[in-house]
Amino acid sequence: MIDEKALIQQLSKPSSKEAAFTQLVREYQEPLYWQIRRMVLVHDDADDVLQNTFIKAWTAIDSFRGESRLQTWLFRIAINESLNHLSKKKQTLSLDEPENSPAASLASDSYFDGDELQQQFQTAISALPEKQRLVFNLKYFDEMKYEDMSDMLGTSIGALKASYHHAVKKILAFFENND
Amino acid sequence: MKTTDYRQRTTEELEAQLVSQFGTESHFTVPAGYFDGLTDKVMGRVAQRKRRRLVMRWAAAAMLAGSVIAGGLLLERHNSVQTANAEDIQYIEDALDYSMIDNMSIASYLTEADLN
Repeated sequence: MIDEKALIQQLSKPSSKEAAFTQLVREYQEPLYWQIRRMVLVHDDADDVLQNTFIKAWTAIDSFRGESRLQTWLFRIAINESLNHLSKKKQTLSLDEPENSPAASLASDSYFDGDELQQQFQTAISALPEKQRLVFNLKYFDEMKYEDMSDMLGTSIGALKASYHHAVKKILAFFENND
Repeated sequence: MKTTDYRQRTTEELEAQLVSQFGTESHFTVPAGYFDGLTDKVMGRVAQRKRRRLVMRWAAAAMLAGSVIAGGLLLERHNSVQTANAEDIQYIEDALDYSMIDNMSIASYLTEADLN
């Protein structure tokens, strides 16, 4: 576990900024990657989005005032980058067509080891509206507390609970309708 | 289309059904050694960005210096043209004085020369 206060202090000094940022990348690369990957599904896309997230963080680090936790700030950048990536992809491909969706490519993805049921589960999750999908992933897979989620997404706890409830219902309905 | 009424069930009950059907394990994987090389890859891009910013700063500074030099040269040239013109006029006036020719004679001479 890193000493976040000390790291922020090092990041604010030009002499230690680069070394501190290297430490930040090392510390947060995995949790950020998995969050991004669950949103964009494909490894190459997740790799691009993750690197862009860190580059954005590097360019904006001088404006980080420590009002939120470093991790929360990084997650926000990662979420924005993931959503930007998905909307850009939507513009070039029609993701509404099932064969174009990233979930459809999981069957041939060498970096996905789930069976057909798991592929369908991902298809159902990816059919959710983006914000609902984000809430679902954070709660279901990461078991994130609503309080932390609220800080990160700037959404009230009540709205997050409602969003998660709707997401779970929609996924179950997806399987009932496809039976 | 089946019509299960999910309104009657709590989020926890619905979630438990999902967990029992699909589990919570992630089935996404990464290429071997991916995370080992990632920090270097990111910091390589950071260094590249720093270099690019430095080059752009130098280019901007060079452009600014170039503009200042070009502006200076233009100003100097403009002044020297003005100086040259003043010198020329003075030279002509001096020549006229030395030749002791009055303006009327010059005018008539020019007219005759033009007619020829």
